[in-house]
Amino acid sequence: MNPLIETALIFLGMQSLLALLRPPATGFLPLSLGGSGLLLLLAGLGAWLAGARGTPLDAAAGFYMALLGALYLGVGPYLREYLSHHEPSRARLEAFLLPLFAAAMVGVLLAPPGYAFLFLWEGMALLGYLLMALEGPDGLAGSRAFFLASRLSGAGLFLALILLAHKGLRVGGLEHLVWAGLVLGFGTKAALFPLHAWLPKAHPVAMSPLSALLSGGMVKLGLYGLYRAQDWAGPPPEWVGWLLVALGLAGAVYALARGLAEEDYKGVLAYSSVENLNLLLAALGAYFLLKSPFFLLAFFFQQAAHALFKGLLFLGSGALPVRELSRLGGLHRLLPRTAAWSFLGALAAAGLPPLAGFLFEWYLYQGFLAAPRGAGASSLLVLGVGVVALVGALAAVSYVRLFGLAFLGQPRSTQAMTAREMGGFGQLGLGVLAGLLLGLSLFPTALLSPLKPPLYPVLPLFLALMGLGGGLVYWVRRKPQRVYDPWDCGFHSPDLQGSALTPQMQPHALGYSEQLLRLFPFLELKAHLSREEMLAPPKVRLEVSDWLEVMETRLTRGYTALAHQVQRLQSGSLHLYLLLQFLTLLLVLGVVWR
Amino acid sequence: MSAFLLLLLAPLFTGSLKWLKARLQNRQGPDPLYDYKNLLKLWRKVWIRPQGSSPLFLLAPVVGLLSTGLAAVFLPLLPGISFAGDFLVLIYLLNLGRFLQVLAALDTGSAFGGQGSYRESLVSVLAEPGSVLALGAVGLASGSLSLAAFSPLSPQNALVYTLVLVALTLALLAEGARMPVDDPTTHLELTMIHEAQLLDHSGPLLALYELSAGMKILVYIGLIALLLPFGGLSFPAALLLAWLALGYLETYGVKLRYLRLPDLMSYNTLSGILAVLGVVLRFRI
Repeated sequence: MNPLIETALIFLGMQSLLALLRPPATGFLPLSLGGSGLLLLLAGLGAWLAGARGTPLDAAAGFYMALLGALYLGVGPYLREYLSHHEPSRARLEAFLLPLFAAAMVGVLLAPPGYAFLFLWEGMALLGYLLMALEGPDGLAGSRAFFLASRLSGAGLFLALILLAHKGLRVGGLEHLVWAGLVLGFGTKAALFPLHAWLPKAHPVAMSPLSALLSGGMVKLGLYGLYRAQDWAGPPPEWVGWLLVALGLAGAVYALARGLAEEDYKGVLAYSSVENLNLLLAALGAYFLLKSPFFLLAFFFQQAAHALFKGLLFLGSGALPVRELSRLGGLHRLLPRTAAWSFLGALAAAGLPPLAGFLFEWYLYQGFLAAPRGAGASSLLVLGVGVVALVGALAAVSYVRLFGLAFLGQPRSTQAMTAREMGGFGQLGLGVLAGLLLGLSLFPTALLSPLKPPLYPVLPLFLALMGLGGGLVYWVRRKPQRVYDPWDCGFHSPDLQGSALTPQMQPHALGYSEQLLRLFPFLELKAHLSREEMLAPPKVRLEVSDWLEVMETRLTRGYTALAHQVQRLQSGSLHLYLLLQFLTLLLVLGVVWR
Repeated sequence: MSAFLLLLLAPLFTGSLKWLKARLQNRQGPDPLYDYKNLLKLWRKVWIRPQGSSPLFLLAPVVGLLSTGLAAVFLPLLPGISFAGDFLVLIYLLNLGRFLQVLAALDTGSAFGGQGSYRESLVSVLAEPGSVLALGAVGLASGSLSLAAFSPLSPQNALVYTLVLVALTLALLAEGARMPVDDPTTHLELTMIHEAQLLDHSGPLLALYELSAGMKILVYIGLIALLLPFGGLSFPAALLLAWLALGYLETYGVKLRYLRLPDLMSYNTLSGILAVLGVVLRFRI
């Protein structure tokens, strides 16, 4: 194996052991997690750029390893500062489990298909669950959802990999079962709509650096699995491509609309992850169908970009005093650096040129426009262009709402007036991710060169914007100016200090997206009016529900009812148990009898 | 090159449009060159920075003008830069300007800014799929995804191009904040979409915003001109047509209720979808 990867894994193991010391040695985290990240980045990038073919580290595994390495490089320094605010007993457990989690993710990339892969895959899920469970009772719903999703994912993979391991079973029609298992297993982890329900529950409750690792790194392994499955199970049947494209495009629109109804800062980010993942799955599905290189470019490029900007945004969310958008506001004054990093992340995530998110959409558009004409159903894929445009517009609105409500305007609560900026190590972590994101945006060929990408003039565009923009800003700033209150319709009275506007007059988190939400039939918007007294002004409360949640509750109720019925079997009656055993024996004999 | 052309033409277009509207409404109206003078006046004035605003407040008008200008570079009215997929860069550069404008509207924490911000967001979501689909359809019909290679209207593609022109015209009205979508002459904050976002911007910043709004309309007119079959005269013809049409529309038409906008813009999306399908499934008249 590559000595760089060995050293990185040793670093992670050492950190886990050091964390057991008393007091926990979290001071080494920038070196151990960050350092291993650097090593993994170098090793992975080397394999990817050289187009390595051997096992265990081939080009695709190298790409994902570089992606994880870049994330660890940013999260390592950040984590040192973040954990210093936790009480020592908890910080010890976290510093013990996190490197193991990180190592398990790397292990998944190196494992051959079979029991080793399943062991590492389940280990990664279990460690993630344990880390999330450390959040205590607040995170219970989220960590349970995560656990259940990893059970579902595991079930699909067990089915698929066991069938694959017994090659003798590979008879006609069985490959469909294998692929169904793979799509279920990896699709659940990659938040394929409608199996995504766990992600918006789980990611917001995890601590910010863990959310960054989950959203940036772990979910990508589901995509890795689906891509890699081509080597394991042969070319996918056609229905896999269609399923991924249809569900992916539908899921992207659904997730964005649902994200616009979300009031939690990290919840919006989580839904944006669902959107990105579903779009990536659609790109992969379209690649399976059409084999167009544009989809492959889009697929790989956006995974790297998404890991970086989502990591940046999630790490930035660690400095927020509260998570509800309706209680934030005006944070750019208290958190100028976090605001700047988050702004960069939001620009990239909203898919605006010249940053990374746009290049992804550019490839995706061209891929869909290159769909064959007059070739039956696959020529209809060209309508994907419209969906991508809708997704792009909605993503921009979603990030305007997120950044605007949290960082701009006036503080909506007292908590929003008492935020504290992250210190040196935190800023270092954020800076590393921001630097990598900017580098990737401006020099996409550095990553994509093995795929020989067509490009639009990224660098000239960036230089023109920065140069001319800088000049104009400098010019306008030198012009005479004065500071005054914002326009309040002339309600300003001489005895009143400042403007007559109050923070409550700003748009509310749901009010901002209300009209947009009414466009989507799957969301139901209810307005409740209430008055405290006869003459008091009415208060409006908006509530959003969607049919997926309604279905989820019904499913849960049905399942619980079924479980109650099955409980009758566990009555404690010995006769019943003996009868069941006898029947099982008969069944087994009947199956094996020839 | 075309960026400079549009930069110079934009105040003439918006200024003379005001003059035309005034004449149609039996008023004297301002000088057709009024907008040049107005921009110059605004540029010389002191500007006001609202209490507690962020650097985005200044950045938004600057990026707004630059992104519209850079988008115009890709418009092949005069020789410029051209490559496959440049129309997507053009649309997204316009989006970049709007992204910052909508953000800066939230910056002051004013109620009107917020209203303008979410209204403009709705308009953008409604208009974008239609215009991208329409331009994509033209690209498919011409066999090349670069604006310079877009083929003009001909009997072979008449049906598709009619649909595309419907979609682009509606997009022009929505993105340019013109009459059925937004009333550019309103002074009532509650009904504003575009103006509500600029309420706190003054002096040079307002000048930048006004200039980029004018240029944005011209960029859309330029896109429409690419489809007209008049050769070198396409752009002047499109300009004249748009000038007359906007003047008449804003004199005799009324603004649509904001909540009815999705109904109007659904025609935009629908004609975009039909145009693409028309190319792929080879619709003929």
